[in-house]
Amino acid sequence: MKITIGHLYPDLLNLYGDRGNIQCMRKRCEWRGIEAEVREYQLTDSIDFSNLDIVLLGGGSDREQMLVCEKLKTIQKDFRDYVEAGGVVIAVCGGYQLLGHYYDTDDGRIEGLSLVDLYTEQGSPRLISNIVIENELFEQPIVGFENHGGRTYIGDNRPLGKVKFGYGNNGKDGAEGILYKNVVGTYLHGPLLPKNPGVCDYLIRNALERKYGKSELAPLDDSQELEANQYIVGRFC
Amino acid sequence: MRVRRLIAVWTAKIVSTVCRLSGRQGVTLAGRIALKIDPRILADLSSMVREKIFVVCGTNGKTTTNNLLCSAIESEGKKLVCNHTGSNMLSGVTAAFVLAAGDNGKLDADYACIEIDEASTLRIFPHFKPDYMVLTNLFRDQLDRYGEIDITMDILDRAMKMAPEMTVIVNGDDALSAYLAMKSGNPYKTYGISEQVFKEQSSEQNGHEIREGRFCKNCGARLEYEFYHYSQIGTYHCPNCEFARPKIDFDASHIDMSNGLKFEVEGRQMEADYRGFYNIYNILAAYSAARTAGLALADFDDVLKKFNPQNGRMEQFVIDGTQVVLNLAKNPAGFNQNISAVMEDEKPKDIIIVINDNAQDGTDISWLWDVDFDRFAQESIRSITVSGIRCQDMRLRMKYVDIPSELIADVRSAIEARIKDGCGNLYVLVNYTALFSTRNILVGMQR
Repeated sequence: MKITIGHLYPDLLNLYGDRGNIQCMRKRCEWRGIEAEVREYQLTDSIDFSNLDIVLLGGGSDREQMLVCEKLKTIQKDFRDYVEAGGVVIAVCGGYQLLGHYYDTDDGRIEGLSLVDLYTEQGSPRLISNIVIENELFEQPIVGFENHGGRTYIGDNRPLGKVKFGYGNNGKDGAEGILYKNVVGTYLHGPLLPKNPGVCDYLIRNALERKYGKSELAPLDDSQELEANQYIVGRFC
Repeated sequence: MRVRRLIAVWTAKIVSTVCRLSGRQGVTLAGRIALKIDPRILADLSSMVREKIFVVCGTNGKTTTNNLLCSAIESEGKKLVCNHTGSNMLSGVTAAFVLAAGDNGKLDADYACIEIDEASTLRIFPHFKPDYMVLTNLFRDQLDRYGEIDITMDILDRAMKMAPEMTVIVNGDDALSAYLAMKSGNPYKTYGISEQVFKEQSSEQNGHEIREGRFCKNCGARLEYEFYHYSQIGTYHCPNCEFARPKIDFDASHIDMSNGLKFEVEGRQMEADYRGFYNIYNILAAYSAARTAGLALADFDDVLKKFNPQNGRMEQFVIDGTQVVLNLAKNPAGFNQNISAVMEDEKPKDIIIVINDNAQDGTDISWLWDVDFDRFAQESIRSITVSGIRCQDMRLRMKYVDIPSELIADVRSAIEARIKDGCGNLYVLVNYTALFSTRNILVGMQR
């Protein structure tokens, strides 16, 4: 078995340890004997989504997002078809904001991909904190770090989790992130996946199921991951 | 006003002494109290500096550069004020001046050399306008405090505009720093290394090392590099607009790192007996700043020989027969350079990595994943021990590059364990708040 991970524009969107998310997916595949290939795409590359099983869209500064958003218009249709067909996406921070319709900043509007029904508005101050959220889908709480000026509103969509500590999407409605089809969007970095192996395996499982129609992930020894996870939960909750 | 200043100076000195006697670093507290008592104290005292005021800014290398600049100026027989301990926000800078003042509330100094946290420039420059600013480099650092690197650049841009006569001495090999200086309108001088030093970079260094500012700050096009020294430091130009690496005023050549550091600048031979390519930039920065200010630096060779980058910058200890090197690493660029410096030592070695997430460290430790720890997968590394408040994150980081590590959360226990069972050659790599406590432990053990 093999999965291919597409890392979109790492030159511009790589702000908060996104390499850790890539490394985590790659290793947790390799440790199970699943081949994992990572393809990095630059702004000048064209992307054939039919070759990809997981797409990672990371975080960048507002200025860098502005540069990326021009390019995104040209891949919007292909990307949407991929998402609607159940393609797996993990989008973090700036990448999460770009999934939506727009991000209104003081310097103007950054048009999003409109892949998911959400929008973001700049607020003050930045929401900076360790964060713990919960969702029954996952055995452990999800822990990470958030740092965002944007307030994201997801309407009736399903959040990735309920905020136990920290701010979440907008600091008001208690929701963090979004789950839409096989898309996960979130403000959590730290990076997200190493301390939340359940989320990583959720992405890998969905990718394998879509590609091979079935997936049985062999269990791994996650004691170090879970200890690091529990440390954060114990300290802040 | 005079009385206020006197009370402020005396109170600050007492506070600082009491703190020191009780084993705490009371510098920032002393500065804060002095400013409370006399809000004009920093402006007044700094105006008494007879010749020039230097400030040193930039993500990495501030403390070493500033301390070396101090030594260089002192070698010219000048008296100066300096924040040696690296307390570099408003209260720390105030403390440097206040604690240097005499009991009569007056300052007797020819020069001031002050390192300043980039974000604090806007709070400090209203008190005094420096004559010179050294700008070492800009990397991602403590993002939770600054937001993003663009914000730091914006702050420095405003700071330069607040002091339009200030000459900027800038690392021309860093496109971000150079861009700031070039467009500021301030006079500037540049330093850099025009020759390619690392002929064959390993593929992971080439491919994955985090590089800031790949895109032209002027027009947004992707910058083209002739070569990199490390991170985004190198020789670059924009293919789309006129922005390019500036002409270098102080150019280091004939770089030789086979035994310590050797290079030439202005036809003079430089030699230092410590490791780390990045230290060439620190030496070059201090040298260029002093030369720009018109100092002859006739005894600079001697200054370099005597200079020991203390305060946990490649600081050496001997404890029960074990050689211990303590080194600060607080962001990906700094850590990658540290790893290079450690790997320049080919002898077997044990490594302890101490990671805290206190406010001054930046509570966000995601940067650990931007460091190329896979380079520790070498024969000569006998063991890796992870310690400090976020030791579990550090252990996980190592696990995901398939390098096993031992977790000993308590720093003293970790050091004791490796001195007892290690190979006699120990590197302790720490981030910011771990530095002071770890250094105290090592100083105590050496005694």
